[in-house]
Formats: sequence, structure tokens, C-alpha cells
Amino acid sequence: MKAQIKEKLYYLKYSFFHPFDAFYEMRFRGKGSLLIAVISIVLFGILQCVRYQYTGFVMNFTQIAAMNSLSVFATWVAGFVLFIVSNWSVTTLLNGKGGLGDITQVIGYSLVPVELTTIVQIILSNFVIREEIMIVNVISGIGIVWFLFMIVAGLCTIHEYSFGKNMASVFLSFVAAAIIIFLGVLFFTLMEQMITFVVSVVQEFIRRM
Amino acid sequence: MKRKNWKCLGAVLAAVMMLPMTVQASAADGSNVVYDGYTYDYYGNAKDSPAAFVLERTITAENLNGTKLSSVDDVCTSRDGRIFFIDSLESRMNILDSDGNYLHSVKLLRNTEGKIALDEEGNQIMLTNPEGVWVHEQEQEIYIADTGAQRIVVLNLEDYSLKRIIGRPDNLSGDTQFKPSKITVDFANRIYVVVQSSYEGILELTAEGDFSGYYGVNVPFYSFMDYFWKSIASDEQKAQMSKTYAPAFNNITLDGEGFVMAVTYDTSAQEYVFRLNSKGENVLREQENMTVVGDIWSMHSDDMGSQFVDIAVTDYGTYALLDRNKGRIFLYDFDGQILNVFGSTGNLKGDYKSPVAIAWLGDKLVTADKTLKCLYILAPTAFGQAVLDGNESYYFGRWDEALVSFEKAVALNANYEVAYSGIGKNYLMKDDYETAMYYFKLGNNREFYSKAYNGYRGQWMEEHFGIIMTLLLLVVGAVIWSEARYHRNQGRKKKKPAAARKKGEEK
Repeated sequence: MKAQIKEKLYYLKYSFFHPFDAFYEMRFRGKGSLLIAVISIVLFGILQCVRYQYTGFVMNFTQIAAMNSLSVFATWVAGFVLFIVSNWSVTTLLNGKGGLGDITQVIGYSLVPVELTTIVQIILSNFVIREEIMIVNVISGIGIVWFLFMIVAGLCTIHEYSFGKNMASVFLSFVAAAIIIFLGVLFFTLMEQMITFVVSVVQEFIRRM
Repeated sequence: MKRKNWKCLGAVLAAVMMLPMTVQASAADGSNVVYDGYTYDYYGNAKDSPAAFVLERTITAENLNGTKLSSVDDVCTSRDGRIFFIDSLESRMNILDSDGNYLHSVKLLRNTEGKIALDEEGNQIMLTNPEGVWVHEQEQEIYIADTGAQRIVVLNLEDYSLKRIIGRPDNLSGDTQFKPSKITVDFANRIYVVVQSSYEGILELTAEGDFSGYYGVNVPFYSFMDYFWKSIASDEQKAQMSKTYAPAFNNITLDGEGFVMAVTYDTSAQEYVFRLNSKGENVLREQENMTVVGDIWSMHSDDMGSQFVDIAVTDYGTYALLDRNKGRIFLYDFDGQILNVFGSTGNLKGDYKSPVAIAWLGDKLVTADKTLKCLYILAPTAFGQAVLDGNESYYFGRWDEALVSFEKAVALNANYEVAYSGIGKNYLMKDDYETAMYYFKLGNNREFYSKAYNGYRGQWMEEHFGIIMTLLLLVVGAVIWSEARYHRNQGRKKKKPAAARKKGEEK
């Protein structure tokens, strides 16, 4: 058990510096852990709330008094869940080899560098003046570039795509995500109308009796 | 967040609607009208605030000793407290003292001997539908933009006798009409003339009245789509398209440092308030999070926002903008920070129908309404006085006085970010960084918080220099030590196999 955890964590570290190899091992030899990926995504959501609240005053342009941590958390996490689902639904149609779990692992593992730089960013932002904001932004920029590189490498590897096809599938994922949102909104609107209809019929019934 | 803004604005509007119930008559004769004021916080939320001014006196035709009053078009004040205002329909300039009592009225111009001035043909010289007036203290002159007669009339400030007449400059190109509407004169006696609906800019005349150029850039707003369609249109299509002209300037004044300030209410303009340097560029100071636009949120998409008809500037750079759309007066400090907003359109006492002009009378304001044919003299409230005093003291570098004034403003309005910032700035000037940081945080002033924090951090580093240096040396030492140990171990590892190999070879 202990050795297993140690191996999983080793591959987490390995994925930062050798994403192609690491994601290959995860996809085809079962070295990845879905648990770590899910924890990472949840942690990312929590970190975004922390960032909202605890970024230093000089860099924090948000209305902290109007903060809703649940909505901040949900917005970020739902965004990733949406991407995972839409990417999966696109790649199954385009001969992608990766499954839902594999995509989740890629996203979760890729988010870890961003989480690390976010923590550094939050701490540093409390000790900088206006002229030094650039430094902090560079650090978070490094995290984002790292994240993008890992995610592209990871998706290429697990789906066995070329770079161009991968980018096309990512683009189609965004389109699919938009369609999912549209359908979701449509569903809830129609449901709301239906419920209102039923409720009003019932009310009518009660009043006429 | 946007929703919240709407709610706040809604609350403010509701408060404004309830004005009739909340109007309090604080003077015995019931002449004081307490306005409902508000301001915008750092995030652009409308925040309730006491109004900076109350209505002190209304001046109508009744106060003018029988002089007819048909319109009010422009107001200007002199340093000794006289109020000059123009009535374009009666072609008169009326003069009041600082309390609003009638002093004099000018229609027929007289020369220094008190006789009616005559032109070359022997006709009496009379004001003809003038629209603007400016008092030029430096030369003790009054400039009247005599629009109907296409000329500028210069009078003596003391006895209102005719000094000279500036007609249409001979070197003004083309056959453009010379219809001066608003006028100002700078410290070098150059005359700046606003011609309504002229897209060339402000007319700049020399002290002698020769045309020296068009002044000021008012850039129209153009959308990307316009650019796109124009780029693919043929020449014939382009000829049919409506042309985009530069928006006109609508009013003009001079600030304490001799810069020309102008406003426009043309909705196609990109900027509405201008502080023009000698090249005619806009050098108005603005806050990073908020430009000088008046109201930030509007309730309807067809609401045109604030439309500034006139601007008045104090010696310390605090300026008041008069909005003709909603009858509001916006106060900004020299830094472009909004201080207070009050006033409304309506039928109540102190409300406007069509506001046209505003001028400072010391710390008081004089505003004019064309439809109501009246002047309002507005006096600062205790809160307004504290804010104005604080800004004045800060502008002239009197930190201690500014501190007292801003503390008073905070006592009267604990939600007032500007005053907290003001207090913070004064502690910053005294190098009391920690207190300054506290107040800048309350005032949501990130720029100055950063400055204060810079000082605080420097002080902290100095105080804890010993500990920091010790820690730094320890870390450096640890790194060197571990490197050295690593290399020693590496060396041993290399040697060992080599030695073992040698042994093997020997065997």
C-alpha cells in the first residue's frame, strides 16, 4: 500500500518534467491515480477561493465583501468538469484512445503546477508594492504555461493524436461545451415552465373545489 | 457585481424620488433645500453621501429691480464676489453682488465718460443676443461673446464702460461665420472662443483679436464595425455614408494654473472633459479605475449618460461639472477623483429644468437654469466645506490642516473613501506608514497603499536587518556546505569503483 502511494506520487512528480512519458505510463500501464486527479481539481477550486480572499491588498481588485466562495469554487470546478466531459465526447467520435478517467487524470495532474504557483503568488502578493506586481504575475504566468504544455502533451499522448489533431479536438471540445451549456439552460428553462404549468393547474384545481 | 451596482443605483434613485418627503427647511425662511447626494466608491458602486451643497438663495426676475429676465445663458464671477450673468433674449448682462443683490445691468454700452458708445456710422452699440461672459481679472476686463452681432465686446470690470470691440478676425479663413458662444481668456491674454456646433475646435485669438489657430482635439468615437465597412466600401458608397465629424466643444473655462478646461456633451465624443495643454492635448488627470464621465451606470440603454454643459474650476483644481441630462452637479478633485454628486431635474425648489451654467463664488456655487430663468446660489454644507477645505489644504501642501478637514469629513460620513485616503496621504507625508496603510485600506486607495507599504517595508527591513542578514548567511552557508559535502561524496564514489576496477585487473 505504502509502496503503491509512493509510486503514484513519484509519477505525479515525473509528469511535471516528462509529461509525454509519464502520461504514457499512466494511460497504458496504470501508473496514474484518479484520486490524486480529483483531489487536485478540488484543491484548485479551493485555492481560487483563497486567492480571491487572501491576495494582498495591492494586487486584489475584487470586492471581497461581495465574495461568494461557493460560486467561485463551483465556477472553476464546473469549468473543468465541463471540459473533461466535452473533450471525452468529442474524442470518442474522433478515434481518441483516452477515456473519461484518463482525461480527468491529465487535467488533474496538469493543474498541480498551477496550484503551486498560485500558492506562491498568494503569499508573495502580500509583500509586494505596485512596481513589483509584474514579478508575481510572471510567476503565475509560468504556472499557466506549464499547465498548458502539460495538458497538450497529456491529451496528445492519451488520445494518440498528432499536435494538429489534438488542437482541433480541443477547439471542438469548446464548441461541444457551449452546446452542453445551451442544452442545460434549455432543459432547465423548459423544466421550470413545466413545473409552473403543473403548479398553476393544481392551484386552479384547489381554488375551484 | 453588476447586479449589485444596479441595486445601489436603484436605492439612490429611490432616495431621490423620495426627496419631497425628506426635504428639510433648515433656514427660517425655508430657503435652504437639502439635496440628496451620493458618490461612487472604488468599485463604481453608488454610495449614499450627504450632499456637499445646499440651496442658499434663488434669484429670479423679482430680485432684479424691474429689469426683465427672459433667459439665463452664462454665469461668471469676479474675485471680489460679483456675479455676472447673460440674458441672451433680453440681450443683457446683469450684475449682482455676492449675496445676490442687484447691482447693475448692461445693454447699451457706454464709454468711459458715461455716454452711450457709438460705432462709425453713429449707431448706438448694443448687446445683441450674447451667449457668454468671462471676467479676466488680470487686465480688469469683462469679455462678452456677443453672438448675435458676431463680435466680442470687452468692458472695464470697474465701471462697465466699453474698452474695445473685437470683430470677426480678418485672417479667419473662408466665409465661416464668427458666432462666439462661450469665451475665456488665459494669463497671456489669449482669447479662446467656443463656437457651438463647430467641428474645427476652439478658436484661439491673440490678445489683439487676430485669429491664431484652432485649438484642442476632440476625438470622435468610432467603432470597429464602422472601420470595417468603410474599408470595404467603394468610393460611391463612402460618399453616401454619413461623415464622422469631430464633436464640438460646448463650454470652456480656465483653471488656476492657466490651463484651458473644456467640456462637450456630444455623445459621439470619446472624452467629455478636457484640460488642454498648449498643444491642445487633453492632460486631464484621471483615476486608474474611473474616468471622468459623471454617472457610471444608467438605468436604460437609451439613457445618454451625463451630458456636461458647463464646468467651473477652483484655484485648487477641484472642479464642478453640470449635467444637463439629469440636472446633477458632479464634484471632482484635481486628480479626477469623484467627490460628490447632487441635484436633480424636476419641479421642486432647487431642481433644474435645463441647467446651462455653473461658476464658483468663493466656496459657493452659482448655477443657472435657462428655462426656469433663475440663478441658484448654493452654499457648502458642513460636510461639503470639510471636503473642499481638505482638498484645498492638500493641494497647497498644508498637511495638518488637510488632516483636520478630512477627519471632520469622515466624522460626517463614515462611508467616504476620499476622506480616508486624504487622512492616509497626510500620515504618509509624515512618514507614519503604518497609520497611512490603515487609512488607505479604508479608502480603497491601492496606489497610495503601495507607496505607504514601500516605506513600511523599508523601515521593517532596517529594524530587523540583523535577523535577516543572519538568516540569509545561514541559508547561503547551508547551501555551500551541502554542495561541498555532495562533491566530496561524488569524489569518493568515483574513486571507489576505480580502485575496485584496479584490484580486479590485478587479479
